[in-house]
Amino acid sequence: MFGFHYKLERHTIPFVLAIIFVAGIGGIVEIAPLFTIGETVEEAPDMRVYTPLELAGRNIYIREGCYACHSQMIRTLRDEVERYGPYSLAVESQYDHPMLWGSKRTGPDLARVGGKYSDAWHVAHLDDPRSVVPQSVMPAYTWLDDTQLVTEDLGQHLAAMRRVGVPYTDKMIANAAADVYGQANPDSDRASGVAERYGEETNVRAFDGEPGPVTEMDALVAYLQILGRLTDAAHEQQALEGDLR
Amino acid sequence: MVAGLTKGERQFAIVISVVLALCGLFLAGAGHQRPLGVHGLLIAFLGIATVFVVLSGYIAPEPSEERLSSYYDDPSKAGIIIAMIWAIFAMFIGDWVAWLLAYPEMTFDAAWASFGRLRPVHTTGVIFGFGGNALIATSFHVMQRTCRARMPDQLSPWFVLLGYNLFCILAVSGYFIGVTQSKEYAEPEWYADIWLVIVWVTYFVLYLRTLARRQEPHIYVANWYYLAFILVVAVLHIVNNLAVPVSLGHAKSYSAFSGVQDAMTQWWYGHNAVAFFLTAGFLGMLYYYLPKRAERPIFSYRLSIISFWGITFLYMWAGSHHLHYTALPHWVQTLGMTFSVMLLVPSWASAGNALLTLNGAWHRVRDDATLRFMMVAAVFYGISTFEGSFLAIRPVNSLSHYTDWTVGHVHAGALGWVAFITFGSIYAVVPILWKRERMYSARLVEVHFWLALAGTLIYVFAMWNSGIIQGLMWRTYTESGTLAYSFIDSLVAMHPYYVARAIGGLLFLIGAAIGFYNIWMTVRTAREEPLEPVADRPIASDTPAGAVQPGE
Amino acid sequence: MIDLDHDILVAFAKSFGLFYLMALSIGVVVYACWPSNKKRFERAARSVLDDEEGPWR
Repeated sequence: MFGFHYKLERHTIPFVLAIIFVAGIGGIVEIAPLFTIGETVEEAPDMRVYTPLELAGRNIYIREGCYACHSQMIRTLRDEVERYGPYSLAVESQYDHPMLWGSKRTGPDLARVGGKYSDAWHVAHLDDPRSVVPQSVMPAYTWLDDTQLVTEDLGQHLAAMRRVGVPYTDKMIANAAADVYGQANPDSDRASGVAERYGEETNVRAFDGEPGPVTEMDALVAYLQILGRLTDAAHEQQALEGDLR
Repeated sequence: MVAGLTKGERQFAIVISVVLALCGLFLAGAGHQRPLGVHGLLIAFLGIATVFVVLSGYIAPEPSEERLSSYYDDPSKAGIIIAMIWAIFAMFIGDWVAWLLAYPEMTFDAAWASFGRLRPVHTTGVIFGFGGNALIATSFHVMQRTCRARMPDQLSPWFVLLGYNLFCILAVSGYFIGVTQSKEYAEPEWYADIWLVIVWVTYFVLYLRTLARRQEPHIYVANWYYLAFILVVAVLHIVNNLAVPVSLGHAKSYSAFSGVQDAMTQWWYGHNAVAFFLTAGFLGMLYYYLPKRAERPIFSYRLSIISFWGITFLYMWAGSHHLHYTALPHWVQTLGMTFSVMLLVPSWASAGNALLTLNGAWHRVRDDATLRFMMVAAVFYGISTFEGSFLAIRPVNSLSHYTDWTVGHVHAGALGWVAFITFGSIYAVVPILWKRERMYSARLVEVHFWLALAGTLIYVFAMWNSGIIQGLMWRTYTESGTLAYSFIDSLVAMHPYYVARAIGGLLFLIGAAIGFYNIWMTVRTAREEPLEPVADRPIASDTPAGAVQPGE
Repeated sequence: MIDLDHDILVAFAKSFGLFYLMALSIGVVVYACWPSNKKRFERAARSVLDDEEGPWR
């Protein structure tokens, strides 16, 4: 009867296939339905994509490992909703390649930090966290303010994002570098194009407090200020559930 | 190293190194003035350096046919030394970031020294640097012994070992300069990932080729675990790292998945990295070195088979317990929770099997710190798998997730199980490999054991405390129904535990350093007074009782 | 081609998974406990205790 398993042992290749089969089924069964999940992810017609400046900020967030201490995922628990805001919906991270849900809160959740503090607060906090929160254990990111943002290849970044499914238009890709400058310089002639391409709601400000050359601080603050504000779906969902109660 | 290679292998090694150096030069050119350029130069430099190393030994006489009558252990020896170097480096970084959480000013305003960049240096360094090299080194040793067969050639084990370390170096140096995918435990970027696939396929093929040379039809169970480790890690690595690079000149890439799919893929990977890297591989070590050291066969071979298939099967489903109460569909969370609880059965079967093997040899456990390392590893394996199943239960997870409890759980497994079984196996295998009767100093093994145990206990208890306090503070309400504590209140409450954790980690690090010294001295004395090579002769020769026994 | 929609996949994942789990566990336990395998396993378990002599060829 066990000639079969005997063969498994004698010939390593079938044994290897057995391992792949046994281990593989679990992964396939669990993950396959997620690829059709488009059908279950909520609709959010107002969802917009990251501007090139915000995307650059997101990449700085990734580079500095912010995700190691800050989550971006508010769970469906009462205390989390009261502390951080409406719980996170799947649709809110549908353009996040990769997602930054995080796994640890050494610092607070940031899923809805956008608009919670002023730009100046963020700049001061990133430059010297303990100047605004004396007990903080966050590192100081002093170099962001005096590092120029690399902008000339951001078009390529948007194009790569488009290849993985984010709906960036040709115009957005072509104007990426100009839009970065425009978003951080509201008085420049390039500012109007940002609102035109990404919507009137887009923050167009000198995020680091100084117009002119775009710094990494501009980018990171622009990103932090958009967190949780790409769509109103979560707030609408909360209002809806409130009505039902 | 080069002297052990045949002429053909030396030539092939030069070809590989030249191709590698050319790839490096290409990346250096394409990524000029970007982080990728730095890595390109690094690859090119290492490739050229390897060419010179091989060339310098090129004219040495070829190894004789005599070599085929003994096992090929040089890569295992190198792997163990490299693993210990990674251990010291990465545990030092780990302790440093632990102190940073207590005293955040210790970054001297340098980008590379901030917590977010150092943390993956620690995790990659210990998991892949220390753990991975130990797995590769011991797997070479175990597969040859259990198959009674020499590895089919001399070049591929070196390619696997050195290539793997190139991957680790690219990974770790990348974090310092800001190159990361941000996927936890899969941070290296696309070019390092592709390189690892090449190395890993070679490793897998080498393993199969060695297995094919065996005489006995049955494959010893330790090899099953090592094989599952190699195979499944390959699958996980490839799927989770699918990404589109910005260009061939950019280190940066964008994950093929987004949002909830990316989260599921990432934690399917993350949890199974724990399962097949940090569990299956090290169980392979356990199932070989524990019986060997205790000089008793494993308590129940049947149980080891049942737990093998149990672990291989159940773990794959469990990843979603990392995403309870998130935007992940509810049924996937439930599935992950259920399978995580069921996982306790094969896990405890393995832990029990290990402990029952020692039953009747407790006097040896008492006298031999090496065996005690393995015993404590089995105990911690039992504890942390129980804790894992417990934390996967959704309501428990609502308290523990995002807190230090998770960190405590991980370290109960990583220090108590993975590092303990590794140190135990290394202490068992070093005298065998270098043909010594015993380690340089049994007393230092003893010191290492107690430092490691004390460090682990301090660490884990500190994190259990801080995690539970944190979780409770976040959900405590005042009588009027508002949240009682601000986030910063909970952070301030953590300070004493963060200091305690850093002290525990320091003890563990000191223990590892002592271990390295002990191994180094064992190797050195081996070189000074080589023992008569009574072992490593074919079975046909008339020295049946000549094998060196670890009789410390 | 069958339209693989989400609900079908989920239903399949839920039902087939359980069946698969049970079949596999039974198979493995039967294999491990099959009497004629006993000798082989015992020999394998002992084989690691004395394996430093060198390769068989």
